[in-house]
Amino acid sequence: MSAQVAEVRISPLARWRWMLATRWRRYILVAPPMLVMLTFLIFGIFADLIAPGDPGDLNVLHKLQPPAFDGGLSEYPLGTDHIGRDIWVRIVHGARVSLIVVAIVVPSAAVFGSLVGLIAGWRSGRLGQLLMRYVDVQLALPAILFAVLLGSVLGASLRNVILILLIWTWTAYARLVRAEVLSLREREFVVASLAAGASSWWIMRKQLLPNVFNTIVVIMTLEIPIVIVAEAALSFLGVGAPVEQATWGRMINEARNYLNQAWWVIWMPGIALMMVALCGNLVGDWLRDLLDPRLRNLG
Amino acid sequence: MQFVSLLLVRLVQTVMVVWIVVSIVFIVSRLIGNPTQSLLPFDATNEDIAVLEEKLGLNDPLIVQYGRFIGDAVQGDLGFSFHRQGAAIDQVADKVLNTVRLTAAGLVVAICVGLPLGLLAALNRGSPVDWLARVIAVIGQAVPSFWLGLMLIFFIAVRVDWFPTAGYNGISSLVLPAIALGLASAAGFMRLTRSGMIDVMSTDFIRTARAKGLSERTVIFRHGMRHAMLPVMTILGIELGRLIAGSVIIEVVFSWPGIGQLMITSILQSDYPVVQAGVAVIAGSIAIGNLVVDISYRYIDPRIRTAEL
Repeated sequence: MSAQVAEVRISPLARWRWMLATRWRRYILVAPPMLVMLTFLIFGIFADLIAPGDPGDLNVLHKLQPPAFDGGLSEYPLGTDHIGRDIWVRIVHGARVSLIVVAIVVPSAAVFGSLVGLIAGWRSGRLGQLLMRYVDVQLALPAILFAVLLGSVLGASLRNVILILLIWTWTAYARLVRAEVLSLREREFVVASLAAGASSWWIMRKQLLPNVFNTIVVIMTLEIPIVIVAEAALSFLGVGAPVEQATWGRMINEARNYLNQAWWVIWMPGIALMMVALCGNLVGDWLRDLLDPRLRNLG
Repeated sequence: MQFVSLLLVRLVQTVMVVWIVVSIVFIVSRLIGNPTQSLLPFDATNEDIAVLEEKLGLNDPLIVQYGRFIGDAVQGDLGFSFHRQGAAIDQVADKVLNTVRLTAAGLVVAICVGLPLGLLAALNRGSPVDWLARVIAVIGQAVPSFWLGLMLIFFIAVRVDWFPTAGYNGISSLVLPAIALGLASAAGFMRLTRSGMIDVMSTDFIRTARAKGLSERTVIFRHGMRHAMLPVMTILGIELGRLIAGSVIIEVVFSWPGIGQLMITSILQSDYPVVQAGVAVIAGSIAIGNLVVDISYRYIDPRIRTAEL
């Protein structure tokens, strides 16, 4: 308790300087993965500027060209695939597809899941029980199955991918936020507010939400690589984004037959996916240890 | 007695999960999708469609259709395959054994890699083994299983030619798919074993066991490991579900003749009954797997035998 009081009196700037001075190792270690994620972000936003051209453009005469650094043509920095499409352009535009999916799925799932978690935790009676039973059922059923089922009926479209991933990911927020709220509502300040006649809505907004905010941010960060990999997995299986969109998962799937002849066709999107998945995880773990170490064992 | 009644509750829950799955399949196939569209050629006339709708009973009220669907599903009838001969469920049944083989092998990898590595890492904190364990944990947690599988094919099967890359012939073709499938779960088991062992080795009863003069082996395995296994058992059900679901994508990577690959080829052929039968079978086996794990867990640890389910 006393540590908390002492911390409040330090100005934010001094606190950051102190943290930098004492824990610079933690920040140095997370710099490279952070840089990778930043590159991913920039690739996604400025795809047209970084790699001008249509990712679907093909030139059969230039099929399976090796990367420029491996003796290929200089116009294809990362080489071309089996029908002569520019891998560099496709990877950068694939980053854009992933980014769009992440940018929609992660915040929406966070808002919806947290809201359900807040309500289920605060009203832990019949409503909360019902909501959590549903979450349990969904957790028992791997969403990839339903993604495949839904994707097979609805056909491939980015909207469906986003919908499926939203259904897939919101339960994580609901479960953890509910667990937090269940313990928060026994705390003195909440009980005091209730006694003073505060409304449920006010308590949720002013007391519960600020206290679970760190948890939500940590889950959101950890969900980013999960969503990216899930989108790639769906595209890999052919139930993800439509054919005309370049996605890393589809690129990897199409390149499987050329594993022996042309290493770059599969390695380029594969490395991109692996880097983002790995670095996203490292950044997420780092943020979790920084903001909310108790989440460590919750997976 | 209490144990039996709790078992019954759990059984009812499992039946409910399966029921929900079948209902979702119904909703997706009848409400969102249109069976006539996939059954008839593109140039079918309106009369053709009307005849087929009558034949399939699509003009009945939804609740009647639903009742018939559930009634058929209970008897294992999920419609006929559009592209292959025979019932959809038979198509899936032919492949069940291969998927079970793959999942079991994945579980073996997860346990045989995860537990010893977690134990060694906990007993030698900060040593190279601990570092290796951490690297495997990060890779297993972060790298997508299908990419891991493709890298294994690239490095081990194509370059060195130790194991076959595709299809099923004998135990050697199981090795690479099992590693690709099991590594993520191995990372989970490893982390839990490591933290569990570290916690338990500093408890009083371990000190007492050492003070009694028991051999280090007895202390670690009979006293320590037994305790550290409990959280591992808890997530075993979840990991089993993850392995079964993960086998879908691994089967595609390794051209493994299982349910997953059947489902994906059926999607490409718009053979929806087979896809639905596959989803129902996989979801059902996950629910039953969870039930079995839950029961055995209660059997192993008497303390939670009567705890709330």
